[in-house]
Order: sequence, then structure tokens, then C-alpha cells
Amino acid sequence: MTALKILTPDEIVQSYKGEFKNNILDARVEKYVNGLKKNEFFHIWIRIERSAYKDVVKHLFTFEKYPHFAVSSGYDLGDTVELVHHFSLYCGAKSRDISVSFTVSLPKNDLTIDTITDLIPGALISEQEKQEMLGIKVIGIPKDDRVFISEDFPECTYPWRRDETGPDKMVRNLHDEVKE
Amino acid sequence: MKFTMLPRTFAQMFKKPFTNKFPAKYAPASVTGFLKAVGEGKAKMIPPVETPPNFRGKIQYDKESCIGCKLCIKVCPTGAIEFKPEDKKIKIYLARCCFCSQCNDICPKDSLSMSNEFLLADTDKYSKDLIVE
Amino acid sequence: MSKGKTKTSYQIPIGPIHPALKEPVQFNFEIEGEKIVDVDIKLGQVHRSIEWAATKRNPVQVLYLAERICGICSYCHPMAFTLATERVAKIEVPERAQYLRIIHQELERICSHVLWAGVAAHEIGFDTVLFLTWQIRETALDLTEYLCGNRITKGITMIGGVRRDITSDMLPYINEKLNLIKGSWEKLRKIFLEDKTFQLRSQGCGVLTKEDALKLCAVGPLARASGVKKDVRIDQPYFSFGDFDIEYMTPDIVTGEVNGDVYDRIIVRLLEVKQSVELIGESIDRMPEGEIVSEPKLVKLLNQLKKIEGEGIGRMEAPRGEVFHYVKYMNAESPYSWKVRAPTYSNVLPWIPMFMGEQIADIPIVAASTDPCMSCTNRVGIVKNGRQSYMTSEQLHHLSVKKTKELMK
Ligand code: SF4
Ligand code: SF4
Repeated sequence: MTALKILTPDEIVQSYKGEFKNNILDARVEKYVNGLKKNEFFHIWIRIERSAYKDVVKHLFTFEKYPHFAVSSGYDLGDTVELVHHFSLYCGAKSRDISVSFTVSLPKNDLTIDTITDLIPGALISEQEKQEMLGIKVIGIPKDDRVFISEDFPECTYPWRRDETGPDKMVRNLHDEVKE
Repeated sequence: MKFTMLPRTFAQMFKKPFTNKFPAKYAPASVTGFLKAVGEGKAKMIPPVETPPNFRGKIQYDKESCIGCKLCIKVCPTGAIEFKPEDKKIKIYLARCCFCSQCNDICPKDSLSMSNEFLLADTDKYSKDLIVE
Repeated sequence: MSKGKTKTSYQIPIGPIHPALKEPVQFNFEIEGEKIVDVDIKLGQVHRSIEWAATKRNPVQVLYLAERICGICSYCHPMAFTLATERVAKIEVPERAQYLRIIHQELERICSHVLWAGVAAHEIGFDTVLFLTWQIRETALDLTEYLCGNRITKGITMIGGVRRDITSDMLPYINEKLNLIKGSWEKLRKIFLEDKTFQLRSQGCGVLTKEDALKLCAVGPLARASGVKKDVRIDQPYFSFGDFDIEYMTPDIVTGEVNGDVYDRIIVRLLEVKQSVELIGESIDRMPEGEIVSEPKLVKLLNQLKKIEGEGIGRMEAPRGEVFHYVKYMNAESPYSWKVRAPTYSNVLPWIPMFMGEQIADIPIVAASTDPCMSCTNRVGIVKNGRQSYMTSEQLHHLSVKKTKELMK
């Protein structure tokens, strides 16, 4: 689709390691083989320092003009909130598409991350969702309101958290209540 | 201008409707009244479209062969199955069942099976038609 | 949203629940005269905390939870979850199961696209076509019921394979139904591609440029109708899609050009129905013999899944585009974290450029053209000069039909 050369997953990882050095904490490439013809495709997982996040995403643009942003996921590990940002490169190049996921760890006492909506406008909803579900703050987000959670949902309760701000106190099991 | 749909519309006018008019040709004023009349033999019901083989309908439970291993409870996605500790048997609330037949697959004694009965609508979730034990 | 951009503009909120939108989503349109000048979108009217609920269940139970994310994509979601789980657990799926998975996926695509074609026809007031599409869909649903045991919730997915096989005695029935679909498809193609009404009503309407589609990360038929070659089946050939020579379906195959309008979306979906029917036929022919599931003993499977650790993603091409599931396991009965991204999630932002400059009468067809997931009620409120009046769906639908009639004059 674009005139840029299609790199192999190892070349992409190397490019990241060369460019960001210590900011790349861990990188692994997973290979999957499918079908009778043994087609291969790859998933890349890279763990990065939070401070480098925006530049890491910017670096994706050196591989392709429009990297595809899928979604960000996230979970609570107790001391930190981990965000996993999923991208993919080279769609349109038959069976050469590579999924790239960047994991960023945010300490609980400073839950902030930079926005990437200026690079990829399609990331807006996902960033809004991370704010309301995990209670993080996305710095520079162009639209700072709730998308999925209704306005009357209590403040400071974040459905994906596993600490005291989690949703467990709101759970009711109607089936058991009716039976009793 | 071309109206490609016109010929088909005309053809359709002379064809039999595709719809199966279940339970009666004209919707009865009261379905319960109608069913009562059918039961007494006063009215005739148009049967529903037949279900294919291996359809997943109402669960059937063979109490005798059940050994109370609770595996079905472990795998049931909706929590529809309850264990009765007194006689080590189970009780299934069909109102919660999603007819996935996962309990059938895991049961080591094949005590559970799916029938082709699907007319299970009821106003009471805990009516005796909707509890299998 | 700012109230009233200029003196002459007024706002129309549509939704949260409205038949034309299919999914409970709320739009606030800023209207000037008849033209839409701005739009604000609010989602989440039916947030059911499914991702959270999954962390209380074991992976087999999650399959059925995932099935209930969407009634139309009741196969893609559990399957994407399964793909992610299999990658964490390093489960090898037997070849035969890979082919069976293709068959079920393409069957779902037929149901979904045909359903959409009917709704699109209905939105512009062409109800006779709606019934024709329903005839095809009914055939496809009968086939689904025959293969899976139920019409909508298929319950066919199992971690490591599928739950039901296709045996040789089932083939005549399958072929009969496939031929029926093929025949009706030909009729449908004629109507959609040759009838003037459709062209007048959908050409140049709700345009999404290729650039916007790429920037806003649109997926599925919506992106392909704008000329973006994105199709996970080809990009990352999961299952056995790599064994088939399939093409990206873009509208230029038929018309020679890409406009990114509603008409192009119709073409893409029609082409894909045909592609799916062919794929099902080919898969049945080429399916190797063998097991259909890697671990038939559920208890053993559950014990194995209890001990896995790691993270994985499952990407699939659902009827509406890429579904994306992320799942993390940490040595426990239930997944530690699960993220579901349905295709509509990515196709919401592209709505904004599509609505700009359109008329009120175009709202239903433009909104419907992305094929969002569905739910229904009955009214639209118009706030004009601070006074509120209601517009029922019938009125809005009527507006749309009226425009069609005017065009036909
Ligand atoms: S069919 Fe499924 S939902 Fe119903 S009781 Fe069995 S496991 Fe539970
Ligand atoms: S799995 Fe079968 S044998 Fe075990 S408790 Fe359930 S019905 Fe009884």
C-alpha cells in the first residue's frame, strides 16, 4: 500500500532497540503457523518506559505511513496499572501484516500517559475508555468526557481496577437474592 | 428508468407465503385461550417448523444415572444448575439456561441431553415447567 | 457541545436508542437548514461489564459470555477469545477444525451482510427488497441451525477446535442451501447494482475518503469501500485462510473506481457474500480428515487452562471488520484481564466525516451503512429554539422515503 519497504519482525525489533536503547525493557517475537500451506505471521510484544511512549508510537510511522491502531487494553497489577497498546503494520500486504503491542507500566501514584491522538486520531475512543475504566489520566486528550460509562456512575470507581476503587462493592447477584 | 423489483413483486403475488402460520392462521385473541381449546380438541394448531436433528432445546435429566460429581455446575456458564446436597442430585433452572449444551458434553455419565422442545415461554421464571430435576 | 454554533443552526439529538441507528448510541447533530454541520457521539448505553464478568469465570464459561456480546457476531467473539487463549496455552488446533472454523465464520458473514442489505433497503424505503434479503437470510439461518444446533447463538466454539463436525451425510443438505443462496444472490445483485433508485439514493452519500478511513482506523467493509485494503483474513491468515487465494473486496472490482460512499459499501458487502459462499464450498471440498478438537476431555482442558500464564491477542475478520481480543492469564481459574474490541468501536469515529454536509433524511442510511450492532425504540427529539418536539422513527423513516421518491421523479 505504501512505497516503504516491508521489514521483517526482527528488523522492526532491532530498529526499536537501536533507536530507543534502554527505553526498551523487553521485546519478543511470536511466530504462528497455520493451515496446510504453513503460512506464517508474527506478533511482536515490546515493553517500554512510559516516558518514551509517544516517540515509540511516532517511530511506527517510519515503517508505514498509516499504522493501524487497534485498541489499548489495560489491567491492574496491584502497584501498577499496565497498559497494552495494540497496533498493526502493513495491512494490505498479503499475509505480511504484523501485530505490534507496546506494554507500558504506570505506577499507582502517578497514573498519567501522553495522548497519541495527534498522531492517530482514531485512538480517541480508546483513550477515553482507559481514563474511565482504569482511572488514569491521558495528558492532552482532545475530548475529556465519558464514552462508555453513563454520567450517573459514581466518580472514582473504575471497573477494571482490582483495588479499593474497583467495582466489587457494586455487585449484586439477583438470582441468589430472588431464590432466598 | 428500470424497476428491477417489479416482476418479482408480481410473481410473489401468486406464490404461497413463506411464513409458517404458527400457531393458527389468524393470531388468536388470547393465546392461552387458544391453547386450552386445542387441548380440549376444539381447535387445531398449525405445528411449528420442524427442528433439525441435534437441535439444542430443553434439557432432559436422567436422575438415576447422575452421580453428583458437580462437573456440570463447574462448566455451566450461566449458573443455571444448583446442587442438592441431600440426595446428591442437581436442579436446573431453565430460565437461566442458555442452551449451550456444555453440561451435556462434560457429564461423565451422559445423564443430561438436549431435547427438541423449544416452546418454553412462561410468565413465571420459577414455574415448574422451567425447573428440571 | 456548544449550543448553537450560529444563529440559524439547531440541534437534533438522535438516540440513545433509535431504529435507524441499530446500536444504542447517541448523536447530537448540529443542523443548519437541512445540512449537518457538526456531530457529537456518545456510546456506552448498553455497557454490560462483560469484560469484568469474565474475570469471575473459567475460560469455557467465557466462551458463552463472549457469544452474548453480539447476537449477529455470536461466532466471532468467542472465536477471537479462543484464538487468544490458544496462543497463550500453546494449543495446536487440528487442521480439520481450522477448516470447519472457516465454514462457520463465512456462514456468519453471509447472515450478517444479507441482514444489512435488507436494512439498508428498508432505510431508503425499498421494503420489497427487504423481504428478498430475508429469504436469503432465512436459508442461511436454517443452515446454521443444521450445523450448530441453534439459529443465532451457535455454541460451536471450543478451545482447541470446534464442537460439531460436518459428516458426509450432511453434505447434500448443505449444498442445496448453498445453491439456494447463490441463486437468490444473483437476483439481489441485479436489484442493488442495476436499479436506478439505489444508485440515486446512495451514490455520493456519506462519503468517507481513503485518508480519513486510514487516519481514523476504520475497519472492515467500511474501510474497504473507501479503498483501504484491510482484511485480517488476508493480512494475518489465521485458521486456514492462507490456503485459499482470496482477494480484498474493494468496489473498483465492479465499478472501476472508489468513491467511499454508501453505494460502494453496498457493492463491497454484496461481493463478500459471494466470496463467502465460494469459500464455504471450497472449504468443504478441501477439508482434510482428522480430529475436530485437540483435547476432547473437557476436565483435562480446564485443568490445563488453569495453569497457563501470559498474554495473547486474537484478531479475526468479523462481518463488520476486525475484532480484536486481548487476554491475560496469570495461573488462575479465570482470565486476569480481557479486552474486547468489536469492529464498530473502530468505526464510530469515521461516522463524523461521513455525516458532515449530509441532510437529515440521510441520517438513517448513512448510520446504517457502517452496519453498527443493533437495538431499538421509537423517537427522535428535535430541539428548535429551545422548544422540544418529538419525531418518531416513522417520521424520520418517512423523510428518508420521501427523499427517495423525489429523486425518482
Ligand atoms: S445447557 Fe448450558 S446453560 Fe444450560 S444448564 Fe447446561 S451448561 Fe448450563
Ligand atoms: S455432570 Fe452429570 S453426573 Fe455429574 S452432577 Fe452433572 S448431571 Fe450428574
